[in-house]
Amino acid sequence: MAVPKWLVVARNEYRIHTSSIRRIRPYFPFLVIGLLTVYVAFIAPAFVSLFIDDFLAFILSQVAVAMVQIILFMIFIYFIMFPITQTLQGVQAGQVEIFLAAPIKPRDVLLGEFLGVIPFYAIVVTVIAGLFTAILNPLGLDMLQIAVIIIIFVLMFLSAIWIGTVIAALVRTKFAKTARGRDIGRALSLVLGLPLIALMYAIMGGGLLEALADPGTSGMVKTILGLLPSSWGAELIVSFASNPGNIGAVGFETLTRFGGLVAFFVLVLWLGAKAANRAYSIEPTTFTASRAKPDGAFYKTVKYLGGGGSFGTLLVSVFKDYGRRLENLSRIVYIVGLIAMANIFFGSPENPEDALVMAQFLFPFFAVFVVGQVAVRGKESLFIYKKTPSGVGRFVKARLLQGWLIVVPIAASITVISIILVPQTTFVSLLTYTGLIVLFVAANVPLALGLSLLNPEFSENARAQMFGLILNANIAMFASFGIFIGSMIVLDLGFLNTLLLQNVLIWLLGTVFLYLGKRKLSRIE
Amino acid sequence: MMKVVIRTDKLSKYYGKGGEIKAVDGLDLEVYEGETFGLLGPNGAGKTTTVRLLNCIIKPTSGKATLNGYDILKEETEVKRVTGLLAESPGLYEKLSAYEFLEFMGALYDVPSDILPERIDDLLKLFGLYDRRDYLLEGYSRGMKQKILIAAALIHDPPILFFDEPTSMLDPRAAVMVKDLIKGLADRAGKTIFICSHILPVVEELCDRIGIINQGRLIALGTVDEIIAQTGTKTLEEAFITITGGVEEKELLAWRKQKGGSA
Repeated sequence: MAVPKWLVVARNEYRIHTSSIRRIRPYFPFLVIGLLTVYVAFIAPAFVSLFIDDFLAFILSQVAVAMVQIILFMIFIYFIMFPITQTLQGVQAGQVEIFLAAPIKPRDVLLGEFLGVIPFYAIVVTVIAGLFTAILNPLGLDMLQIAVIIIIFVLMFLSAIWIGTVIAALVRTKFAKTARGRDIGRALSLVLGLPLIALMYAIMGGGLLEALADPGTSGMVKTILGLLPSSWGAELIVSFASNPGNIGAVGFETLTRFGGLVAFFVLVLWLGAKAANRAYSIEPTTFTASRAKPDGAFYKTVKYLGGGGSFGTLLVSVFKDYGRRLENLSRIVYIVGLIAMANIFFGSPENPEDALVMAQFLFPFFAVFVVGQVAVRGKESLFIYKKTPSGVGRFVKARLLQGWLIVVPIAASITVISIILVPQTTFVSLLTYTGLIVLFVAANVPLALGLSLLNPEFSENARAQMFGLILNANIAMFASFGIFIGSMIVLDLGFLNTLLLQNVLIWLLGTVFLYLGKRKLSRIE
Repeated sequence: MMKVVIRTDKLSKYYGKGGEIKAVDGLDLEVYEGETFGLLGPNGAGKTTTVRLLNCIIKPTSGKATLNGYDILKEETEVKRVTGLLAESPGLYEKLSAYEFLEFMGALYDVPSDILPERIDDLLKLFGLYDRRDYLLEGYSRGMKQKILIAAALIHDPPILFFDEPTSMLDPRAAVMVKDLIKGLADRAGKTIFICSHILPVVEELCDRIGIINQGRLIALGTVDEIIAQTGTKTLEEAFITITGGVEEKELLAWRKQKGGSA
């Protein structure tokens, strides 16, 4: 008997996701199940027992329903977003052609792609559900209540992952066919994470818990989130906590909320299957090719800043190649968004120095995000420069100037706004700190460029490129932060002197790394 | 009388608002059983669109086509079972090994599990990749990937094979092997082969008949000798350029004449 097609696709997906652990693939499920059993039976209860009084006080408190609603809502959205962002990062249409040419129905492909990744999501779901049941168990919940809670988690997450898988397939169809579409996809994959980060920051530092203690705010959150299926389970979990061992007391609620979740799952499954035909298509959607406009004032200025001659032309070309990629622009938006959110949710600075602490973390990241990708299309793009007379030197110089021209004005603007918002800021402190931060950011550009030249990511895979960027960004950030901590805490030099010391050392590091990076680029084969 | 295996009747595929872009326009074509047919055309002529239409990957705007008697609109699954496709720019699962990928493709095409392992091994041996069967495809060269894709097109041993630019990424030795394979599939296995290419010597060497397509329309059809005769030229290259519109006579080195002197 022929194997069902969805099973063939699911097995293929599973193999792809476990390709890095091929040697232990046969034992992998047993290993995971064993570890999860240990986690659920011993680790989660032991972890919860450390904070059990706080947990129990929380779960029986006024804010419990709204807070659990928010937590489950975040997880629900995350599970929808994850397959979408994964797809957006590495959109490819080629594999779709394999399926379209084969005797397989689109809904089988969709179901197979969904089931193939379920085992990995199941690990996360088990960890979350295990933690919840460990928290609720001491309350005396009976087996039926625990079983219902587990099923709630399973249904909720299956719905979310299915929705995410369907949207991801539709998105792939929409964006994968053109280079522009793939660029849009990669750009979206980054900025889509910002709302979730905002919610997380709000919980961590934005006083959300305090706000939820207010019945008015709490009621509003419950009403809004109550419309979403993630909340139906949350309400039931908190109801069980209030009525342990007595499911009959919340029988109607159980029936409506649980029944609602089941109905929702069936509905999204059916809608997804209906959408499957649209999710697998390689029909072109656009025939308009992007056209370059004649150089305007901006590029003329850039060319002038580059000396006007052939180097100016080179600098303009580097700028155009950078600026016409939405992915690059989305990285700027992402970092500026993070800085804005950090200021909104964590900052209530009383002096300019407090307002600039976050700069230690985020401006090195910013520099790496702007200049940290030197080989967008693999090694070949670097060989163009290696081939031309003095090409390597001119390439490095152009990237350095390009980085400064982007990073410095934006960082200066953010710094000025951050300092102006602090009451009783003097003009002198505004000028001093802005100047020092600008120098600090400018120093991070050669450091970031040097790091990326020393460790260039040649893969065209967006995820691999992002990994390389994050690695370099962390190195740059820890360099700055290490100096900051050493100077502020160990040497007790004060903020101003720390900024001066950081400037000297990061410039020094930047110069050395840039020299080493340039040397490596000259020798690369 | 020879059996017609591929038949198209006014097959058309239009794109854009009002269908102003005619990717394939009223294609009438018959390909016979056991024949090797070549579809020639410049870039963007409609070759790949034709192949995609005939493999039910995209749907026609109008017209009909049958493969082995199966209608591409009404009997999609049957059409897909009787065809094998080497696409022009297919996506490979780079995180699978060659063996795993072919196993996956075999399962997609319902190759019985008792014969699939042996067939995969045979194909890998044929293409000289048996020793690398467990290596992930991400580490394969372009030519090796092309060989795997050809093996994937053959995995279910279909009666009709579509090869879109089959030798474009291969080194001369591998290209010779693929050409010999195509000849063998046609001569000894009785396969019907449909090749799309703009590499004229490949088409000239392999194909019994060729069609030349330009801007979606089939503008010439026949054997290589017939087409050369029709155009009054001496070679297929000259015939192709005559039919599709050749390069204009231009002063090819005019770009060197600078007003202010040469660079």
